[in-house]
Amino acid sequence: MFDPKIKIDKDLFAKLKKAADIAGYSSVDEFIIHILEKEVSRIGGDSSSDEEIKKKLEGLGYIS
Amino acid sequence: MKKMHCRGGRAISGTRAGSTRFLKLLLVGIPLLSIEGSFLPAAPAEASRREKSVVILGIDGMDPILLQRFVEKGRMPVFQKLMEEGSFSLLQTSIPPQSPVAWSNFITGMDPGGHGIFDYIGRNLKTYQPAFSLTHIDEPGHTLHIGDWVIPVSAGKATLLRKGKAFWQMLDEHDVPYTISRIPSNFPPVDCKGRTLAGLGTPDLVGSYGTFSFFTDDPTFASLDVSGGAIYPVTVENDGIAAVLIGPENTLKTDKPLLRAPFAVYADRANRAAKILIGSTELILKVGEWSPWVEVSFDVIGPLRSLKGICRFYLKSIDPRFNLYVTPINIDPARPALPLSTPPGYVTELYKKIGFFYTQGMPEDTKALEWGVFDDGEYIRQARMVLEEQRRMLDCALDDYHGGLLFFYISTLDLCQHMLWRNMDPEHPAHSAEAALYKDQLEDFYAEMDAIVDHVMKRIPADAALIIMSDHGFSPYYRKFNLNTWLLENGYLELIDPAAMEASHLFGNVHWRRTRAYAVGFNGLYVNLRGREEKGTVREGAEYEALLDELGTKLLSLKDPETGEFPIKSVYRASEVYHGAETKNAPDLIIGYRRGYRCSDQSVLGDFTRDVFSYNMDKWSGDHCIAPEEVPGVLVSNRKLRVKDPRLSDFAATILALFDVDVSEAPASSRPIF
Repeated sequence: MFDPKIKIDKDLFAKLKKAADIAGYSSVDEFIIHILEKEVSRIGGDSSSDEEIKKKLEGLGYIS
Repeated sequence: MKKMHCRGGRAISGTRAGSTRFLKLLLVGIPLLSIEGSFLPAAPAEASRREKSVVILGIDGMDPILLQRFVEKGRMPVFQKLMEEGSFSLLQTSIPPQSPVAWSNFITGMDPGGHGIFDYIGRNLKTYQPAFSLTHIDEPGHTLHIGDWVIPVSAGKATLLRKGKAFWQMLDEHDVPYTISRIPSNFPPVDCKGRTLAGLGTPDLVGSYGTFSFFTDDPTFASLDVSGGAIYPVTVENDGIAAVLIGPENTLKTDKPLLRAPFAVYADRANRAAKILIGSTELILKVGEWSPWVEVSFDVIGPLRSLKGICRFYLKSIDPRFNLYVTPINIDPARPALPLSTPPGYVTELYKKIGFFYTQGMPEDTKALEWGVFDDGEYIRQARMVLEEQRRMLDCALDDYHGGLLFFYISTLDLCQHMLWRNMDPEHPAHSAEAALYKDQLEDFYAEMDAIVDHVMKRIPADAALIIMSDHGFSPYYRKFNLNTWLLENGYLELIDPAAMEASHLFGNVHWRRTRAYAVGFNGLYVNLRGREEKGTVREGAEYEALLDELGTKLLSLKDPETGEFPIKSVYRASEVYHGAETKNAPDLIIGYRRGYRCSDQSVLGDFTRDVFSYNMDKWSGDHCIAPEEVPGVLVSNRKLRVKDPRLSDFAATILALFDVDVSEAPASSRPIF
């Protein structure tokens, strides 16, 4: 089974690699994933199911 | 102060008490979880075992300090006599002292390293997401799609995640009869020959710990974002209201709509009463009155198939504001949608004898009080109703008791100490003149426990062994501590977007590749370990050990800047306090808070707050999820103890010994205490 893949052009990849080196990431993959995760978090990815789970957990009396 | 080493391992599997899964379990069929008992003609030794009588009352949360205080005040003469003529001791609780953990120790004779329950809340190793740790629901593996219907072909399954043999299963092998009533950490009930009824951990019909409904035309409630309940704004038109009770999702439909049971209310303001029509039931309630239990029917496949539940209505007010409270929809004991007992029909037998009753595991509605739906008086009244049901159930168990083991669980003191500590304790930040009106309520409930013990003693054989025990004691909960925020501030955890610190939930904003430690649950601290966590960063071996040492040292020396106190009394390493194959799934460190402190709600679920410390202004004002040495339980008996330090995990061997069964059949960690 293969993980999903995304195509980007070589110039962009080179810029990403340079930025990752400057910022101190261990790899360009880590840098790209961090950027994408940050953006998803900002936009609010799968918030509906998270909300549902949070509500269920908060239903425990110990959590006010 | 203790600090011990531990080793890493895998996390416990995630759980999810989704309402969808409960409907699937009902409609396809639930695997039988019990077998009917059959007793062969007994050999002489076995016959004599069956004639022995052992009665254990499990009073959750009974605290030794409060017990002694009320005994000295003369409010508990039966306990006083037992304590003087029999035995009274502190009872070592579990690490950590949480009810699902503690009762699992009691049931299995093992610590969490053996039974695998470490906290109310665990986490998923792949997603880090918090989840309930006691039960897991598996969806049906195969479904058939017909139009917009989804028909499960294979059954789903509810699984109890507690490992290890229950002490009553050990008794099965010697044909000792028993009734185990409402014991926590046993939903769904394990296979056995005797009669058991599930307790704490049993959900309501929507799959939650309890979700009340509140129908109101008061706008101040409409703006509340409540947990453990749902607020339904209503408009009273011509003194009438049309409303619905919400059930679980209808997973037989592709769009999974919520099941609904409509009802109507007609208000009679002049007489301060209301008529409620639901299904074929008509209720007339005056303001301040509770209805009896009412059956609720949710149509799943039109009129062909329906899901049954039960609930009670409470007409809080009608004028100037309309306020109607409805209990969580409980699983109907007359037609249980999920396995509640062994044998499966035992819960229905109980219903036929005592009528409907709360089947959810934590029936006292603390959430209704927390959100202001109940005031203190209304909460106490509802707690008394629960206690009254438990007393009727106890009487039923005593009617059928002819030797063997009877275990009966009472929840009152635990939930009421959680909610009413602030009423009693003038030091509590949530104490007030209004709260003080009920300052003696906990004392009154302790006195009721004395009356219950008196009643039991009059009904059991004179030579019966009687044991009254609790799983933990209690402490005031004055200050909240956000352990995840502390980890963030001290460089052990990093966020993807620091500006969104308080806005994100369930670790959604955590940069796992830059995180070395995180906290989940009320007492658990986990290392983000390579090879274990999905995005682990800390290497096993020297780096891991050094991190645990560093965390332990820093936490033990941490001071609350507001009070000058040290909030953390003990830090345990799992490998040094747990024994057994499940230890590898434990939190790396178990944090023992000092009396007065507890982990904050947000930290439990992977959320962050700006402040590490804050005052607890909630009505949930007493707690016990702290250092176990701060909150031991109690042990009172008409038998003499032969050990000075009895533990919860000793009960398995103790019970076997009381029935002359070889104690080597219990785990080696369990020893007889009488």
